[in-house]
Amino acid sequence: MFKLENLSHRYSDGTLAIDNVSLNFARGERVAFLGTNGSGKTTLLNHLNGILKPTSGNIYFEDKPLAYDAKSLLTLRKRVGFVFQDPNDQLFASSVKQDVAFGPLNLGYTADRVKELVNEALVTVGMSEYVDKPPHFLSGGQKKRVALAGVLAMQPEVIIMDEPTSSLDPIAISDILHLLLQLNKEKGITLLLATHDVDMVPLFAEKLYILNKGKVVSEGTPKTIFSNAELIRKVNLRSPRIAHLFEVLKKENGLPIADEYPLTISEARKEILRLLKTTEK
Amino acid sequence: MSHPDLYAEVDKSAYTNALAKSSPVTKTFFALSALLISVSASYFDMPGVISFIVPVVVFTICTSLTLGLAKVKAHLYLDLFTYPILMLILSCIFIALFFGSGTPVIEIPLHWATWTIFKSGISMSVNTFFRVAGALSCLFFLVLTTSITDLCVLLRRIRIPQAMVEMSMLIYRYIFLFLEISAKMSLAQKLRLKRSGWLSSIRSLAMLTGSLFIRTLDQGERTLVAMNARGYDGEMHILDDFPSARKTALVGIVLFDVLLIALVLLTKTSGVVL
Repeated sequence: MFKLENLSHRYSDGTLAIDNVSLNFARGERVAFLGTNGSGKTTLLNHLNGILKPTSGNIYFEDKPLAYDAKSLLTLRKRVGFVFQDPNDQLFASSVKQDVAFGPLNLGYTADRVKELVNEALVTVGMSEYVDKPPHFLSGGQKKRVALAGVLAMQPEVIIMDEPTSSLDPIAISDILHLLLQLNKEKGITLLLATHDVDMVPLFAEKLYILNKGKVVSEGTPKTIFSNAELIRKVNLRSPRIAHLFEVLKKENGLPIADEYPLTISEARKEILRLLKTTEK
Repeated sequence: MSHPDLYAEVDKSAYTNALAKSSPVTKTFFALSALLISVSASYFDMPGVISFIVPVVVFTICTSLTLGLAKVKAHLYLDLFTYPILMLILSCIFIALFFGSGTPVIEIPLHWATWTIFKSGISMSVNTFFRVAGALSCLFFLVLTTSITDLCVLLRRIRIPQAMVEMSMLIYRYIFLFLEISAKMSLAQKLRLKRSGWLSSIRSLAMLTGSLFIRTLDQGERTLVAMNARGYDGEMHILDDFPSARKTALVGIVLFDVLLIALVLLTKTSGVVL
């Protein structure tokens, strides 16, 4: 679906934020970009719906190179939605309804069609009772949902989210993750996430890219990547807590644990039960 | 109540009052027509006569609609009146002192001249007081029952230029964000032992204003990027969607206005003669 070829981006102050990145992902994938602050995640994702232009290299969306005239950008942005990290940047209208309606109105739909899309999007994110409220009435988690609804109302095929879980409480994080997984499953929406929340990644992503200083240093499934603990530490990240526990149990206590560490609670449970059975024998 | 709290309360009332879901066309039509009639009745004011009937009727009706029908909290309504009324009293005192001609009431001998307060000045001052209080009650009815979003949609309907409506919506949205940010900054200053002297408090305020200004520029840029990402084409479209006005309500308001005009004409010669 997306193909990036030797993409580089240099900011006007001279910082090389993206350094020769090539990658591609398919329709319906759930992809996470993991990296520390300043590793280039946001800059990379900003290229995918035309917010930033590459300094060099090419981006293809469905085999066509991105064009940057107003009409092509509108078509691209209808198909590729971007949810920003700080919902206060994104929610600018005076009410939830007006904000969610902004995208569809820009696409030139009729008022009735827009109302339909707004309602549908707000039902999906569970915010329909706040339709007439102004954004400053909402909590952080609620704002994030409305920001997501604003993108959903444009019926995108790809949703890009920058730090979807930052500054949310645990319940709000788990709600938004479930919502994203549901969108991916039911509507086949391709999801691209930038995050530094390592514990969230295995719950969400099928494919993981590790970014460091503007370069992709590793790619693969969360399982293969997190079993390489040295690499993770080298780029100043850490493994998920559960993987770390199993790594210590294996290396310090010599327990016969599989090479790919469990990353989630359910995987850990399986591994523990397997271990108990082998020791019983 | 402090200023930011009062703003927030007024804003909250606009969304939560019992008339929040009724048509903004009806509410605006009622408030503005009552305001217009009540203010233009001053055309019949006579010097030396206090004519208070029409403004008092308008004030009573608007206040009872705001408190009774829209169920706005009485303390909020009173708080909202405090500053304008203080301002109004001050202005009316000045009108009484400096305006008017004809029959003098009091003559104060100063050693270079005589200061005269006239009957017509006093009547003008008292009439202005009633007129403005009546008008305020109309406007407060509107702001306490109608949300800014609805008003903006309405402004678009009556063909107010797009740019003005866009600006109002954005200003409204970000006022609340920057109120929050400035409250946080001011707290941060206090926690770092801001000194309470006059000069240092001016300095703290200057610092706060400066960094707030930078924040607004920054926020503007980021919001523009986010708007572009959803296909902003230089024109902020507004979804024209609010409950349509009930015909009976509109007819009712027209009847009320006719009655009010009739009252204006009937009472144009009556009043308290000073």
